[in-house]
Amino acid sequence: MSRWDAPPWLALLVFAALAAVPSVLGDYWTGQMARYLLFGLFAASLALVWGRAGILCFGQAMFFGVGGYAMALLTLGVVDIPVLADAWAALGLAVLAATLFALLVGVFLFWGGGISGAYLAIVTLALAVILEQLVRGWYTLGADNGLSGVPPLPVGDNPWDPRPTYYVLLAIAAVLYAGLAMLLASRFGVLLTALRTNPQRLTYLGYSVVVLRIAAFVIGGAVAGLAGALFVATDAFASPSLIGFALSAEVLIWVALGGRSVLLAAFLAAILLRVAESYLSEALGEWWILALGLLFMLSVALAPHGLLATPLLWLRARRKPKGPAPA
Amino acid sequence: MDAMIAWAPLLLDALSFVLVLALVSLGLVVIFGLLGVINLAHGELFMLGAYAVALAVGWGVPFWLAAALAALAVGAVGWLISAVLIERLAARPLDTILATWGLAIALRQGVVLAFGPQSRNLDAPTDADVVLGAISYPAYRLYLMALAATVLIATLLLFARTRFGLTARAAMARPDMAAALGIDVRRVWRRTFVLGAALAGLAGALIAPLISVDPYMGLGFLVPAFLSILVGGSASFAGVLVGTGIVGGADSLLGHWLSPLAAQIVVFVVAVLAIRVRPTGLVRAP
Repeated sequence: MSRWDAPPWLALLVFAALAAVPSVLGDYWTGQMARYLLFGLFAASLALVWGRAGILCFGQAMFFGVGGYAMALLTLGVVDIPVLADAWAALGLAVLAATLFALLVGVFLFWGGGISGAYLAIVTLALAVILEQLVRGWYTLGADNGLSGVPPLPVGDNPWDPRPTYYVLLAIAAVLYAGLAMLLASRFGVLLTALRTNPQRLTYLGYSVVVLRIAAFVIGGAVAGLAGALFVATDAFASPSLIGFALSAEVLIWVALGGRSVLLAAFLAAILLRVAESYLSEALGEWWILALGLLFMLSVALAPHGLLATPLLWLRARRKPKGPAPA
Repeated sequence: MDAMIAWAPLLLDALSFVLVLALVSLGLVVIFGLLGVINLAHGELFMLGAYAVALAVGWGVPFWLAAALAALAVGAVGWLISAVLIERLAARPLDTILATWGLAIALRQGVVLAFGPQSRNLDAPTDADVVLGAISYPAYRLYLMALAATVLIATLLLFARTRFGLTARAAMARPDMAAALGIDVRRVWRRTFVLGAALAGLAGALIAPLISVDPYMGLGFLVPAFLSILVGGSASFAGVLVGTGIVGGADSLLGHWLSPLAAQIVVFVVAVLAIRVRPTGLVRAP
């Protein structure tokens, strides 16, 4: 069994701290943090696909965006299916849409040998650019203006109180985190690690590398789609920037800076970086982006396991001196 | 005859775009082929070339000299990038994608901080038109094409016919064996990276008078350049030329009928399909 993930007590601690946010930070930050939780979930989806399964996807925002746009189209009644205008039914269908889209892209990319390594990065990047351009030129989807006025999740009685929504989103994030962590600690998680480290041996042992790659990709796509759908409902706005290359590259930075192979590190890094951005982009202005770019570059060069995950790995290494080093 | 007169400027425009894209792609492919490094900062090197020429012209340096200086300056930046960043990551080629992306963000934002986010325009060294039979065509674009074609051929000859080219190709194909034969592989890497950077800088400098120069111009060339080398095949220079011909030519020509947005979508979709069907590219390795 290889469990590279953060110890459960640490995850509990993180989620407990997040649960205290509304009582400590006030309404404005609670509303912001609700969005950041969803970016955290989005980052966790990429940690699974890239950090675990070794699929360097430069277009993860495609699934975030498909989930988001599906949610917006259904709840705004642009696609008029009365039964599905209900927020929760729409959420389910949005996740389904992102999942099916991920399946389609996954089959296209991986079937019959398919594309891997550096080529995969470029092709997924190109796909994200295509999708963004398509949305920007598509009038029904609001083109460049996006779709605004997406109704919020029907949580609580007072729409101006961000706390009920925050707690619901935190509960969803916690359940999904636990689910993904359990999945990665299971047999399937071991297979995903093998997929990254030694696919030939996996084939030799009788597993289908193609099916496993597609499975990892689809799970990642479904989680990203859910995060996107919830984000659009929370933000009341679906814009082309949610589906394209810019957000795809950004989530990659969050995951790389946090720690690509540790779910909790990716989840937390997305939240912390967004918080840092809110604070520092005021203080540093344009210098913030420069600093982020340089920090990203240095972290990849000097601490490839990520700035949050590297201390965790030291912790592990000290406790179990004979444990194998993570690949 | 009338049809030809209508078509000729379009075809010439497409050809000049293809030649500039080929300079960018060639720089990208020597770095990719030799080091297995996907240089996502390549578009920013191209952008730096455009800024360098705009600055030098602003100081009163004649355009053609400024373009040469821009190529040299960007080559020097490439030397620094290779020495400080790329060579350290040689054992982790996939991580160079991420590191060069961080570098690209930093370079782009550095230019925003130094020169502002607004775009600027640069006058071509000549605004004369040349009469070619029944049409007249801007002389600068003709010079541009001639120069780009010359540099492309010179680069191909450099790799095919010189001692540097031979050692570079050896280091590309069998780095261990080349090192065993006494070739300083690291030095070859660095020189090649500098060459690739200088080509990007030159391409940026040459195209600066034709498009608006802004900090984000690199991205618009990076993706088409990558798709070009993957469509054509990264194993040979012929592949690069075929790839840029298809991607750049289709992008430029389709833009006249469809909107530029629709043209880009069509070209990217076709390119992705082509890469999926033939991952080794249209042109097989020699």
